[in-house]
Order: sequence, then structure tokens, then C-alpha cells
Amino acid sequence: MKSQPEFAQPPRIATWLVNLFIPAEDGESIPGDLHEEFSHLASKSGIAVARSWYWRQTVKTIAHLAGMGFRVAPWSTTAAVVGGFLLMRFVSGLPDKLLAAATDRYLTYWSTHFKAYMFCATDGMFIAHLVGSVFVGCTVALTAKKREMVATMTLALVLGALGIAASLVWLAKTGDVWMLALQCADSFAILMGGAIVRTRRSAATTLPSNA
Amino acid sequence: MSGRGYLGEFEHIIVLALLRLEDRAYGVTVRQEIELRTKREVSIGAVYATLDRLESKGYVKSHRGDPTPERGGRSKRFFQVTAKGIKAVNRAQRALRNMTAGLDLIGSHS
Repeated sequence: MKSQPEFAQPPRIATWLVNLFIPAEDGESIPGDLHEEFSHLASKSGIAVARSWYWRQTVKTIAHLAGMGFRVAPWSTTAAVVGGFLLMRFVSGLPDKLLAAATDRYLTYWSTHFKAYMFCATDGMFIAHLVGSVFVGCTVALTAKKREMVATMTLALVLGALGIAASLVWLAKTGDVWMLALQCADSFAILMGGAIVRTRRSAATTLPSNA
Repeated sequence: MSGRGYLGEFEHIIVLALLRLEDRAYGVTVRQEIELRTKREVSIGAVYATLDRLESKGYVKSHRGDPTPERGGRSKRFFQVTAKGIKAVNRAQRALRNMTAGLDLIGSHS
């Protein structure tokens, strides 16, 4: 059954994901090729088959482009990842230090606003931690010119692997899954930082030609 | 002897696909040609990663076509094998012929 293939559009999330990894010189050709084959397949075999094919191509294409991105500039990418790792070590302790400083300075305020203090000490701290990770992701992406996602993905994988290993030890000792969730969220936030920078850069390079 | 100048297996296949397709060689046709003849699923990312590498080695060159509606208004990137690329593929073919000469490959290890 072919459901209105003439209006078929490739999955948006898949298109967005693949665009994050495409080098500037292939910025039109790869999405164009995927779109062309998707349209052809949708009219021949139906949208479901075409969507499934598109997702498969997206995953494989991202794997190849990420590998290629690293091979093209291994040293600059590694430098960006190491810099991000060190920056992460510095940034991850900041929310605690800031909260401790704020508590000491405004002791009378916190004593009358205990709920606000509790929010800052729990959810607020978690949010601040994630904002810090997004900031690290953005910084790494800005330094890794044209290879934003490769650098942030590598950093996220390295930190994620180390963090998950440590969290599993913690989980075995205490049964607390909070640390594990925090490590996964950290890696995701770093990737989001890279995606923000990449999306803004792509928009900046495509806008003038559309005008 | 240095391995520099020799084509890898997938590079070899890509160059042969470009030679077969002549002036119709762009991402979609190259990918489909390889799938049709090798019976293995190939991603568009693998095709472009290899084509970009071949271009940086000077074995292929590319130019842009016009945008078309069926591609969401995006242009095609056509590829062509250079004289250096043809020499490289001839060298790879000759090496393969020399290595397989005298071997009875059909059913030799079945």
C-alpha cells in the first residue's frame, strides 16, 4: 500500500542528525541523494519501507562521516577532546562551590527560605551541572572547527565510558542509580552543546545564499 | 615498496563504478551501481567518505549539477576519474592479475 508518496518527506530527526555530521563540501549532495532515493523508494515500495531505509542509511552514514572526520584531523580533534576533558573537570565542581559561597554569604536569607535552598541544593545543582556540560560541549565544538560533532561525540563517549564505569562501581556498593543517570545526562548535554554550535554555524552559512 | 598509490578494495570498486557510469556518476547512481554489481548494501556516507578521500589523492574530481525538485532543491555532485586515477586503477588491476595468475580459485578451498 502506497500512502500519498508524492507528499512523502524523509524523517525530520534523521535528516537533522545526518546534517550535523556532513562536511561543508557535501552539505547539499548527501542530503539531496538521500532525499532522491527516499522519494523513489516511497513511490515504489511505500513510505514505511522508505523510512526504514532512510534511518538505516542515516545511522551508517553518520558512522562513516564521524570516522572520516576523525581520520582527516586526528590531532586537532584529540586536542579539542583533551581540552574539553580538562574543562569538564573544572566546570563540574563549579555549582557546588557557587552554592557553598552563596550559602555562606546569604545565611539569613536561606534560613528563612529553606525550600529555595533545598531546590538549589538538589534540582538546581543538577540543572547547573547540565548547563556546565552544555557549555563544555559548545566550547569543544567551537574549537573543533568543521568537526564539531566528531569532537563532542568523542568527548561524550570518553566521559560516558569513564563515568558509567565509576557509576557501576558506585551502584554495586550503594544501590544508588542517581550517579549513573547523571553521567548519561552529562554526555547527552555535551552532545547537545555540539549540536547547538553546529546548527548555528550551518544556519549562518546557508542564510546568505537563501536571501 | 610503499603502499602509497595503491587503491584499497572499496576505493577500487568506487573508481570502477565511476568509469562504468561515465558522466552519470553522482552519489545515488554510484551507490546503486555498487549494490547492483556487488550485492552488498552500501551507505551513502561510505560512498562520499571514499570519494572525498579519492579526490584529496587526485584520483577523482567533482563538479556541481543543478538543483532539482526531487532532491528537495539540492544540487548533485558529479564525479569523474582523472588520468592519475586511471593509472592507479590499472596498477591495481595489474597487481590483482599477477597475484591470481595460475591460481585455480574456483572451488579450491570448498
